Amino acid sequence: MTPDRRSRSFLDPQVLSRLAAVPLLSRRPMQGNVSGRHQSPHRGASVEFAEYRKYVPGDDLRRLDWRAYGRSDRFYVKEFEADTNLRCCLVVDTSGSMDFGSTGVTKLEYARKLAGAIAYLAVQQGDAVGVSCVAKGIVKHLPPKRNPAHLMTAFDILEQAQPQDETHLASVLHELAETIRQRALIIVLSDFFIEPAELRSCFQHLRFRKHDVVTFHLLDPQELAFTFKRPMRFIDMEGGPAVFAEPNEIADRYHKALQKYLTDFKQVVLESAIDYHRISIDENYEQVLMRFLVGRT
Amino acid sequence: MSFLQPLLLAALPLIALPILIHLINQRRYQTIRWAAMMFILAANRMSRGYAKLRQWLILLFRTLAIAGLIFAVARPLASGWLGLTAGGKADTTIIIFDRSPSMRQQSPGTVNSKLETGRQQLVRALSMFGSTRWILIENTTNQPRELESPDALTKLSVTEPSSASADVPTMLQAARDYIEANKSGRTEIWICSDIRQNDWNAESGRWATLRDSFLEFNQGVRFHLLAYPDLAANNVAVRVTDVRRLQTSDSAELLVSLQLTREGVVDEEKQGIPLSFEIEGARSEFTVEMTGSKFDLKDHRLPLERTHERGWAKVSIPADSNAADNEFYFVFDKPTPRVAAIVTDEPQAARPLQLAAQISPDPHQRSSAEILTRDQLPQIDWETLSLLMWQGPLPDADTAKLVQEFVDRGGQVMFFPPRVVSSDDFLGVKWGDWSEKSDGVPIETWRPDQDLLANTQSGAALPVGQLQVRNFCTIEGETTPIASLKGGTPLLARVTTNRGGVYFCGTTVGAGDSSIATDGVVLYVMVQRALNSGAAMLGNARQLMVGDVGHDQAVSWQKLAGPPEALSTEYAFQGGVYQADAKLVALNRTVAEDQAPVLDDVRLTELFKGLDFARVDDQAGNLSALIQEIWRVFLGLMMLALILEAALCLPRITPNPTHSTMSAVAVGFNDNTVGSEAADRPASTSKA
Repeated sequence: MTPDRRSRSFLDPQVLSRLAAVPLLSRRPMQGNVSGRHQSPHRGASVEFAEYRKYVPGDDLRRLDWRAYGRSDRFYVKEFEADTNLRCCLVVDTSGSMDFGSTGVTKLEYARKLAGAIAYLAVQQGDAVGVSCVAKGIVKHLPPKRNPAHLMTAFDILEQAQPQDETHLASVLHELAETIRQRALIIVLSDFFIEPAELRSCFQHLRFRKHDVVTFHLLDPQELAFTFKRPMRFIDMEGGPAVFAEPNEIADRYHKALQKYLTDFKQVVLESAIDYHRISIDENYEQVLMRFLVGRT
Repeated sequence: MSFLQPLLLAALPLIALPILIHLINQRRYQTIRWAAMMFILAANRMSRGYAKLRQWLILLFRTLAIAGLIFAVARPLASGWLGLTAGGKADTTIIIFDRSPSMRQQSPGTVNSKLETGRQQLVRALSMFGSTRWILIENTTNQPRELESPDALTKLSVTEPSSASADVPTMLQAARDYIEANKSGRTEIWICSDIRQNDWNAESGRWATLRDSFLEFNQGVRFHLLAYPDLAANNVAVRVTDVRRLQTSDSAELLVSLQLTREGVVDEEKQGIPLSFEIEGARSEFTVEMTGSKFDLKDHRLPLERTHERGWAKVSIPADSNAADNEFYFVFDKPTPRVAAIVTDEPQAARPLQLAAQISPDPHQRSSAEILTRDQLPQIDWETLSLLMWQGPLPDADTAKLVQEFVDRGGQVMFFPPRVVSSDDFLGVKWGDWSEKSDGVPIETWRPDQDLLANTQSGAALPVGQLQVRNFCTIEGETTPIASLKGGTPLLARVTTNRGGVYFCGTTVGAGDSSIATDGVVLYVMVQRALNSGAAMLGNARQLMVGDVGHDQAVSWQKLAGPPEALSTEYAFQGGVYQADAKLVALNRTVAEDQAPVLDDVRLTELFKGLDFARVDDQAGNLSALIQEIWRVFLGLMMLALILEAALCLPRITPNPTHSTMSAVAVGFNDNTVGSEAADRPASTSKA
């Protein structure tokens, strides 16, 4: 694998080198086309013993376990786990709301860092990586491939992604669930500013398609704290109507609504059995990724 | 509500300040591009009603706080009886102060009298108001007197109790004259009175004139009445009705007749009242049992030294709710010869008058009557004369002057009509034409309560109605009728004078003209009463009422008994015994003061109809001020509004939302395997 020679603003080689020590693993069997580090649903030729199976005519006689025959006078075939590679699909929300950032970095920039690092780690360990930038629809889509040149293309797409339009994440995820036919690790990076109930069906759809789904819920500290002193005119970054509000007046109710949303969202991901990471974007992304990777080992 | 600084109420529009600030603040908003709009929209939807209400309440409390401050600095008054004092302080404030004896009444359980309470209330109330000039008109002199400040009311002797009755119309007239003469600006007239009918004289025609004249003032005159209408619960008044010195062969005694009147009698229970007599320092006591509202003691005998021919005395009763009517002064002397003169051109016809005058009802009392012609007038000793009866043309020129002087000294004059009527008049009254009624006309109405035809002491009426008048002469001029014929023609009338009595009788005592002489009881009583009055006025021991003597006359008197605090300038208005040259004068309150009803509310309102008038009723001994500044209440309300506003503005005491939300984030980090490990991760797939 050829290391990236071009300078990417969202990639830090030192961080990548530190993260490379931890493998990116899937929690579900993957159906790769080459040998890899991930569990496959099929039996293969790895060193990992799987099970004994009765011999049936047509089986390769070389796979007969003669010792078992000697002990039991019956023919058994010894089977081993198959290892395959991983298809990693990075779904990056590029809607208008991802352009918000009060700490000097926007949510999209943060998502770009996470996605770039994951893509690099995946390709480095021989897995295929694809990128989908979504907003109102699928803005850009790069199917998963495992060669280094493809990684450059993925980086380019991430670099060129611009926040725009409103979020139709639910419909987009449904569409991706249908598009990505083979089992894959689907990592969604978004602020998820839609009703959690709407996401339940699309998460279940992805799970139904045997995908391993990971969500990175990106939130800005100011969105969480909501500490404004003066009257504010809030302009919707996704083109909705502007709202005039006295922050002191609505802060309580804002926090109440936010808390309810977070609780509901957590409930949805629990029910959908998907991997969920809520992240404040003022946090070091290396630690976030390390936690993510370690958590999957 | 009244305000001491009403002009400051002009700042009331400032209550809109919070609204303006709110609007300005809304214009000072900051714009931000925001991602998490769904929570702001949700927050706006949640509890919108309460949030709106809270905002309105905050605005309301801020507005109330400013309103409270403005009202507080405008110095509001608790009582509304003064009416609105918009327009600032008055140019002139006139205080009409009733210091009549009835104002000394006290309420049960209190020390201060109506007069003292009213004075203090006035000082407290007026001190709050500004005025360029303060004028006092009290009921003795009825003259305006300028005060330095309302505090002077408590320092001046002219606001101390007096024995003089009040004449409120006269005092108001003085106020009106003052306003007119000094061209006062906006004027406030404060009246402090117990609104007794005798003081207010509500039936007087002067009220209508006064009302009209006050209404004519363009500058605006406002009336405030501080009334003390409560009557005493059980107040007894003592009054001496007759005093005679009786000389026997070896001793002398004083025959005193007196009357007790009681106010507020609720039952007919007997009440023992000890009478204390003091004859020039020598005291004696006598208890009478009183039932009902009136009691008469007739000829109570008080022993005297035989040589004690002349002196003064006092009768008093124990203290009750009104100290002013608990004592009565009287003087005595050897009986003064009652001298009457009858001036007539028909001596024979005047014989009944002579008989009525010279027959004394008391054998120890010498009476004489002389018939004279007009030419013999110079022979009259005017100094000893008590009664002058005049039948003939009215006196003219010098004669009239002599008669006038006699009247001014207190003498009594009775005029009878001449056969031939002339156009001459006396004190503005003259004879009209003769009328003849051959069948005789009875006397239909007369005054049984006072004057010559009053009922006897036992209450029996005189047989005036039995008299028949065949020829009578009309009386022209301003008089007060005492008796009127059927049909309303006055037969006996009194002319208003300063001292003596002047009567006009519309018929003669001749048998052809009337039955006055033939039914001689009425004539005899009339003449004897007139003689009595004249002798009392002209004798050396005079029994006078306050008001009978002018202020100037009394200045030179020497006080023998009476209130110790009375000043010599006040002698004419303070009950007591005084030495005036060779004469002894006993001065007492008027009869009306003993039992005068209070003016009813409706009548009182009618008196001020059309005028700017406010009234408040107070009680003697009331310690609380009539008006109180209540700015503290408004300041308290302002502070309460500010506290409530602050409480509404305070954020709710809940766990720090930032902290809680961030905690949720932290939980998210720790729980990052949620959904995969807990629910979905098969143990067999672990590669760890």
